[in-house]
Amino acid sequence: MTTYFIRRFLLIVPTFLGVTLLVFLLTRVVPGGPLERLLLEASMAGAEGSASQTTDFGSHGRGPLSEEQIQEYSEYFGFDKNPFHAYVLWLGKLLVFDLGISTKYDEPVWKEIRSRLPVSIFYGVATLILTYGVCIPLGIVKAIKHKTVFDNVSSILVFTGYAIPSYVVAIALLTTFAAGLDWFPLRGFVSSHFHTLSFFGKVLDIFHHAVLPLIAYVAGSFAFMTMLMKNSLMDNLAADYVRTAVAKGLHFRSAVFNHALRNSLIPIATSFGNNLSLIIAGSFLIEFIFNINGFGLLGFNSLVNRDYPVVMGIVVISSLLFMIGNILSDICVAIVDPRVKFGADGSNQ
Amino acid sequence: MWRLSTLGSNLVQTVQISNVFKLSLDPQTVKQWKRFRSIKRGYYSAVILVSLLLLSCFAELLVNSRAIIVSYEGKWYFPTYAWFISGDTFGLDYDWETNYRELRQHFKEQKEGNWVLMPLVPYNPFETEGTTVGATPPSWETKHFLGTDGVGRDILARLVYGFRIAMGFSLVLLVFSYVAGIAIGCAMGYWGGAFDLVFQRLIEIWNTIPFLYVIMIVASIVETNFWILVFVMVLFGWTAMTWNMRTSTYKEKAREYVNAARALGSGNARVIGVHILPNTISVIVTFIPFSIAGGITALTALDYLGFGLRPPTPSWGAQLREGTQSFDHPWIVWSVATAIILILLMVTFIGEAIREAFDPKKFTYYE
Repeated sequence: MTTYFIRRFLLIVPTFLGVTLLVFLLTRVVPGGPLERLLLEASMAGAEGSASQTTDFGSHGRGPLSEEQIQEYSEYFGFDKNPFHAYVLWLGKLLVFDLGISTKYDEPVWKEIRSRLPVSIFYGVATLILTYGVCIPLGIVKAIKHKTVFDNVSSILVFTGYAIPSYVVAIALLTTFAAGLDWFPLRGFVSSHFHTLSFFGKVLDIFHHAVLPLIAYVAGSFAFMTMLMKNSLMDNLAADYVRTAVAKGLHFRSAVFNHALRNSLIPIATSFGNNLSLIIAGSFLIEFIFNINGFGLLGFNSLVNRDYPVVMGIVVISSLLFMIGNILSDICVAIVDPRVKFGADGSNQ
Repeated sequence: MWRLSTLGSNLVQTVQISNVFKLSLDPQTVKQWKRFRSIKRGYYSAVILVSLLLLSCFAELLVNSRAIIVSYEGKWYFPTYAWFISGDTFGLDYDWETNYRELRQHFKEQKEGNWVLMPLVPYNPFETEGTTVGATPPSWETKHFLGTDGVGRDILARLVYGFRIAMGFSLVLLVFSYVAGIAIGCAMGYWGGAFDLVFQRLIEIWNTIPFLYVIMIVASIVETNFWILVFVMVLFGWTAMTWNMRTSTYKEKAREYVNAARALGSGNARVIGVHILPNTISVIVTFIPFSIAGGITALTALDYLGFGLRPPTPSWGAQLREGTQSFDHPWIVWSVATAIILILLMVTFIGEAIREAFDPKKFTYYE
């Protein structure tokens, strides 16, 4: 089993190379690559003047570029070199943990990313606690009270949450409770007068801003988790060992909590490692909607600003997190379920 | 594949006909269809959604600035699908495209027996209204039933055409990514070996890529249109179906009937096409609604962020964006959000019903 996990960790390397190479080439070899386009737009923007102001905001920051910026781009990406050569150069820098310099903020990419992490981690951890704190108890109650009024009513809620993407939930919440009723602030992580507040006031301010985004975050994973919990508990309640336990005179309640529940938590563990991505990377859509200056919004802004060093940095970090998260999930499963033997029959890739 | 077609709404008739003509309609399929119909929530959602889809195919007759019929001096005109009918055709003093709403008013005042039959919503999704400035709330008088947006375009008209584009996009996406996924997945599961290994690694790479993010990178580099967007989404979205098909082909291949078919001398093409594929159809059908929901969600998100279809294409995402840029016009967000929620709920109901119809998990609940 240990060898299996060691092999899995080693396999991160080729996958990581594949992902970064692909994205790197994408930013370079697609016809009308970024540099040509930047140059073209720079000349066009000069001619158009302020007329481009009215276009959609997806084209923000596509304005004229200074000679220095163009020079920076060419140097960083080595546009004069062949793309593979440039990729190898980029990779060499990465090996010494140098993600390069952001062309927009003129700061090291890693510093930019690190400065956004506290915000993203706050939302990630809060979402995690809320999701597990609500879904596991709710799933248990729904399984025990299967086909009762409570189950049916909560099913409607769960279903709605499952069907609607979280960004639509976010937009609906924002329009109703922030813009319409004015109960919550519209945007941002903290208020503009944050630094003047007392400690208690600061905490309150953060949570006041966090209510709506957190609901949107939780709505995304809430339904899946609840139904997973419910279904796996019901499978176990129907299993022979629970029947035996009750037949031997065990109280139903303790049969559920001492026997069935522990086994039903196994499926929950299969996705536990993926929370690593969620905690740090979050959802750029929700961060964009609520204008929360986290990791996701940085990724979005870097795209809009064509800040490719940051784009590559985001890809590096989110793909690494995703892969490590997958392995963590498998380790979790191996820990909670001793029957699982990874790599024994070779079927688990 | 013929089983798919039998899932159409007139299946009951097909069954009766098949009894008469002794067509062998798989009793399993009939059972699944009956089970699907018995799940009311999913069945009625399917009926409503299919009707909406069919209606939206003829949206030009329901939501359009062109009249359906114009009767002028005893002659009938049908401008809907015509190229262009200029104003002087109807005795107006201009030679550009007729304004049928004004023409209707004009004929009413003339009282010469000429008349115009307008669609239910007499606006098209592109026309900006010169007379009104800014967004106007819903009004029955102006026939802007859901109001107008910032440049005076009718929201209902844009919703309807946006629905057609979103559904069309998801369906096209579905067809392409399923064809690719089924072909590659079947080959992986059936032949295994080096081919399987290579594609496994490839899929792992593909799955690790932040999907929406890479699409945004592409969209920020090339000018997107419908087909480029479909192409990119298929390029990065074929893996889900491939993986499912690989697993189910792998399972089916190990079963006796495949060995039997082989022993009887069937070639690879026949074993896959005639034996394995029909047995994996439940996997495919079960995934369809969720793929459609995924397609709509992804397109709307891209449009919302400004990386999707180019304006002024009617799109739900662009409307959401307009609604959230300033909150002075809440009817914009509410119309679009309600539409998205309703459509996705119906799609999900259908999906759950199909899943239950194909795989009835009867929980033996223990009390």
